[in-house]
Amino acid sequence: MPRQVGTPLPHESAAGHVTGRALYIDDLPRRERELVVTFVGAPVAAGRVTRIDTSKAVATPGVVCVLTHADLKGHRCFGPIISDEPFLVEDEISYRGQPVVVIAAETAAAAKLARGRVIIDCQKRSPILTIDDAIARESFIGPPRTMTSRLAEDEVRFSAAFDEASHVLAGRFHSQGQEQFYFETQAALAEPCESGEVRVISSTQNPTETQAVVAEALGLGMHEVVCECHRMGGGFGGKETQSALTAVMVAMVAKRTRRPARMVLSRLDDMSITGKRHQYQTDYRVAFYDNGRLLAAEFHFFSNGGAFADLSTAVLERTMLHADNAYHVPMMRVTGQVCRTNLPPNTAFRGFGGPQGIAVIESCLEEIARQLGLDAADVRRTNLYRDGDESQSVTQYGQIVRDHVLVETLDRLIETSDYRSRRRAVERFNTHSKTHIKGIALSNIKFGISFTTKFLNQANALVNVYTDGTIQVSTGGTEMGQGLNTKLKQMIADEFGLAADRVRMMTTSTEKNNNTSPTAASAGTDLNGAAALDACAKIKANMLAFAATLLSNPSEGLVASTEHVCIEDGHVYDDRDPSRKIEFGQFCAMARRERVDLGARGFYATPGVDYNRETGRGNPFFYFTTGAAVAEVTIDRFTGEMTFDRGDILMDVGQMINPGIDRGQVIGGFIQGVGWVTNEDLRYDDAGTLLSTGPTTYKIPNITDLPLTLNVDFIDNPKHTKNVRHSKAVGEPPLMLGVAVWLAARHALSFVAGECPLELAIPATGEELLMTLSKLQRDNDDAKANRNGSAASRSSLVSSLVKQP
Amino acid sequence: MSIAAESICFCLPANQLSAMRDHLVFYVNGRRHTLAAPHALATLSDYLRGGLNPDVSERLIGTKIACSEGDCGACTVLVGESNGDRFVYQTVDACIAFMFQLDRRHVITVEGIADESHFTPVQQAMIDGHGSQCGFCTPGFVMAMHGLTERNLTAGCRESLSDDQLRLGLSGNLCRCTGYHQILAAGASIDVAKMTVVDKRFNTGAMLAEFDSLGSVRLTGQSHDGTPVAVAIPITLEELLEVRHEWPAARLVAGATDVGVQYNHGKYAPTQVISTRQVGELRSVELTNDELIVGAAANWDIITNVVETQLPEYHKILTRFGSPQIRNMGTLAGNLANGSPIADAIPLHYVTESVIVVANRSGERSIPTGKFYLGYKQIDLAADEVIVSIRTPLPPPHVSLKLYKITKRRDMDISSVTAAFWIERDRGTIVDARVALGGVGPMVVRATAAEAIMVGQPFSLGTMQAAGRIARDEIAPISDVRGSTDYRSQLVENLFAKCFHEMTDETALLEVT
Repeated sequence: MPRQVGTPLPHESAAGHVTGRALYIDDLPRRERELVVTFVGAPVAAGRVTRIDTSKAVATPGVVCVLTHADLKGHRCFGPIISDEPFLVEDEISYRGQPVVVIAAETAAAAKLARGRVIIDCQKRSPILTIDDAIARESFIGPPRTMTSRLAEDEVRFSAAFDEASHVLAGRFHSQGQEQFYFETQAALAEPCESGEVRVISSTQNPTETQAVVAEALGLGMHEVVCECHRMGGGFGGKETQSALTAVMVAMVAKRTRRPARMVLSRLDDMSITGKRHQYQTDYRVAFYDNGRLLAAEFHFFSNGGAFADLSTAVLERTMLHADNAYHVPMMRVTGQVCRTNLPPNTAFRGFGGPQGIAVIESCLEEIARQLGLDAADVRRTNLYRDGDESQSVTQYGQIVRDHVLVETLDRLIETSDYRSRRRAVERFNTHSKTHIKGIALSNIKFGISFTTKFLNQANALVNVYTDGTIQVSTGGTEMGQGLNTKLKQMIADEFGLAADRVRMMTTSTEKNNNTSPTAASAGTDLNGAAALDACAKIKANMLAFAATLLSNPSEGLVASTEHVCIEDGHVYDDRDPSRKIEFGQFCAMARRERVDLGARGFYATPGVDYNRETGRGNPFFYFTTGAAVAEVTIDRFTGEMTFDRGDILMDVGQMINPGIDRGQVIGGFIQGVGWVTNEDLRYDDAGTLLSTGPTTYKIPNITDLPLTLNVDFIDNPKHTKNVRHSKAVGEPPLMLGVAVWLAARHALSFVAGECPLELAIPATGEELLMTLSKLQRDNDDAKANRNGSAASRSSLVSSLVKQP
Repeated sequence: MSIAAESICFCLPANQLSAMRDHLVFYVNGRRHTLAAPHALATLSDYLRGGLNPDVSERLIGTKIACSEGDCGACTVLVGESNGDRFVYQTVDACIAFMFQLDRRHVITVEGIADESHFTPVQQAMIDGHGSQCGFCTPGFVMAMHGLTERNLTAGCRESLSDDQLRLGLSGNLCRCTGYHQILAAGASIDVAKMTVVDKRFNTGAMLAEFDSLGSVRLTGQSHDGTPVAVAIPITLEELLEVRHEWPAARLVAGATDVGVQYNHGKYAPTQVISTRQVGELRSVELTNDELIVGAAANWDIITNVVETQLPEYHKILTRFGSPQIRNMGTLAGNLANGSPIADAIPLHYVTESVIVVANRSGERSIPTGKFYLGYKQIDLAADEVIVSIRTPLPPPHVSLKLYKITKRRDMDISSVTAAFWIERDRGTIVDARVALGGVGPMVVRATAAEAIMVGQPFSLGTMQAAGRIARDEIAPISDVRGSTDYRSQLVENLFAKCFHEMTDETALLEVT
């Protein structure tokens, strides 16, 4: 049997996907007497509830029950880190749309009708919506955090660096949030069991947390709740914690009515009430030399956490841990603070704070290059971590970055992308074109792999081998499209020398795998794969012992020896007598008859990771996934419309378990990152209501936004010998390479900026680009007028754009 | 006349009399369905997924709902309409299509595209090429790709789908996982030559024969909350005018690409509806030497094809108008009558001074586009009138025409600002200037002051910049989710200069020297 690992085996659900037979929550057959569940949200973003009148909703034909906070039996709040989020509003309203009332009805029409008949009176307060508001009103979540590199500990020395350095760059950087936009909205189905227990089928990245939260809300023991998830129609972090709310609502109904209950959020409700990638505001100051080499940097991150803690403190931590990105900064001071506002609690989204940290230093490097008149790729190369060079290997939190190919990646990408000559072509284009400007940029990524919360770096797996030689595998990992199950299937098939179709990945369920971590932090395959291999090893040990005796032939001098037993190509044999092969299924049947255990539970805990968040020091990451990208863009000078013309990506993702899946992860992540930095534009009104609540108004990348040329390649890294099958995590890191597109836009604008300061926010929408272009134009005109000593006259944008060299 | 008007049934020809139905007839995956009110006013996706028809026990859950706005394409199905000797299949967003729009149509869902045990070449390519990740959007992509291969095959083209075809053809399908690259590669690898037209999978002859024998529909009933509902599906203009006269309060619905969205958002509850899309006389699109005549029930897909060579600017805008699925349903008349200030088609019809021909039982009248709009979404159309056609003069050779649709995202996005420039020059001097701007106020407007200062001036960058500054003061755009007041004003100002560059030196654009 050829090895499965390393081949582009199709996604294990691909056949179901293309035929429409793959089932998501809303597709599951209707249960007998099933109820439709909906909720009523808070009508304002901040205030107090003075009266809830559900009488008209209760009286609506077809309505079975209407529940409020008073119906909660156990805990009233939940939260993965700080338990501060009420399941249902009691009196304090913290964000617009926050669930207040749960309605269950026989039909969707009745539920919808009743929804409009609930009256919630409240006293409105002026909401805190922005980071500035929150800072002014000292509205924070969690303590301020600091992270200081060894050399920057001495305040005097740190300050002196800014005096010594030939240049200092300072400013404020803004990046907006981003909606996960998983295609399957938050959804759950709850079924009551015979003695008051509840089974919840949820579209969740986190069955264990869902089980715990449902148990708490219902006043049940965890042993009385089962949570399962067969697959999600996308997660991207948005179902790491926030899937719990939907699950709790249906579980409350199932418990109360003893009837199955299902809830599938509309896109509008989902976007309106669920958390997103955090908006950030960062004050930065960077000291550097004439050659662009960084000497010292300080970053003060403020994130908009929304109304409750959710994962915000962990997200912020990852931002601070990625303030360096792939670059060595000898002296660095980082601070961070989560702001509490009246928006839905922001949460995990692929990258988990990393993108917001990385964008700032990448922006700084681009600006440093502009100010020094250098090629930004060279400035980046100068500052990259150097493998083996101790003076350029230690991060601000003290971990040594090793066994990487950052420099090799950058050098090769510059070659393969034809970066240098294209950069010259861009410069020529910009001197000639009256209508468009082009930009080109390179960016790097170094993304730390592991949960920064140590205890989450564990997994267990259950492997059952049956007497026909087929295998069922259950882990705590959830499938959201990322191909976890396909990769596990390949690895396990190889363990037993089988074709992949002999291995089946089972529904994730807390019944089979307990105390699991969310499928997150890119570590799904690392953790669950290693746990599954541990289980396989246990089963194989049993098999080898049995096979050694079975295949021995003392009269022929063939003594039992496990070392000579081979389990491969669908057969079991002793390599000293390979003519005698037993088919794997037959072998398993024989083993059972001889009372050999063919099932095992495996366990894995990532070795050597720890991080002390009080001191800001440690080795939080098992290893780093790295890569680089080059992007070229063209911007219409008159409209700000931008086209992404070409992208080149080169990544080190270790030895790929499935190159087809990894390629999909790289491109999918990258394009999501491009969405974040270009057109994904969350807009709220002054009352804290989200205006962009669906794909009509919130624009994720379309197929026509894909550049005409997109080259994706992988670089070998023989130094990487860690992790399961020497692979590397691939889910999140490529997202941050999307920043290259934003940097290219910034590069394009630099041709208009002249000597004027250039500030660009994320996302660089057409509006952001046009307004920045217009501002640069005015600044240039003013500067010119001042130089001429004449009164500044505002000439049109266009005429002087044309004069730009 | 008045006697005949009392009841249209008595004056219908015998064959139509017998054919008048109180229920819809359509097929889903080759299986016959009939439907009465109120489900005739449900959406196709609710019908398929919810199994509203009691005769059908299966729920066709392969058609996924991710947005309910006709924006993501996860619910894409093929809808076949008889062209006399076969079905012409087009992709449709099931989430915003009402059941009454499916009368005399054959709906093919992902469940019907292949036998249980087989994959189509499209499906196989998506499997092998890692074209799916979470899989939720995948059935929609599969159906959209089948729409493309079907179009090639019926045109006798057996070549693989081109990159251009795939990008434009799939622009109505969003995917959040893949970044599209592997979907494009999968699409390009489909062996179209090995495929056959989808008609061959079904008993097409029988379906066509039945549909061709069916006449118009009038059905009445009650919605679930007891409200009376009624749907009329006339198939002749005479019937349309008659029912319009009888039901002055009814909503005229053509493609439903806007009311379908409003319905899903709870902002529109259909009660009395007259469907115009099946009226045969209104479906033609005619291009003469100097005029484009578009029937009120012609969809954008046909219009886009017709205008490709003679109105390339319009074609350019229309290829970015909505998505293929939307263009297969929507109509010009619907776009104009809906009257949104950001409707993509309106600016062209302002500057060409197109005429909107409306009719009631007594006759026709023609309204210049500029006079058709009375206020925000207010149009000059009486309760007994319908739009019949739109007559658009083609720009003569000495006139330069430019159209703009400025959006956040290039494709499948509603405009922030739209504009049309019609500039007639005589030896370098502007002799006629017409500028229409959308998204800058409650209605599309002509920038009359800007036009006035252009006339008589040399066609120069200076003239256009000056006009742009004046136009900026003529408008009062609002700030909303699609852009701020300042952005829209700046866009309007800049478009004058952009237009100058494009009219004078088209080849200079994007040329790398």
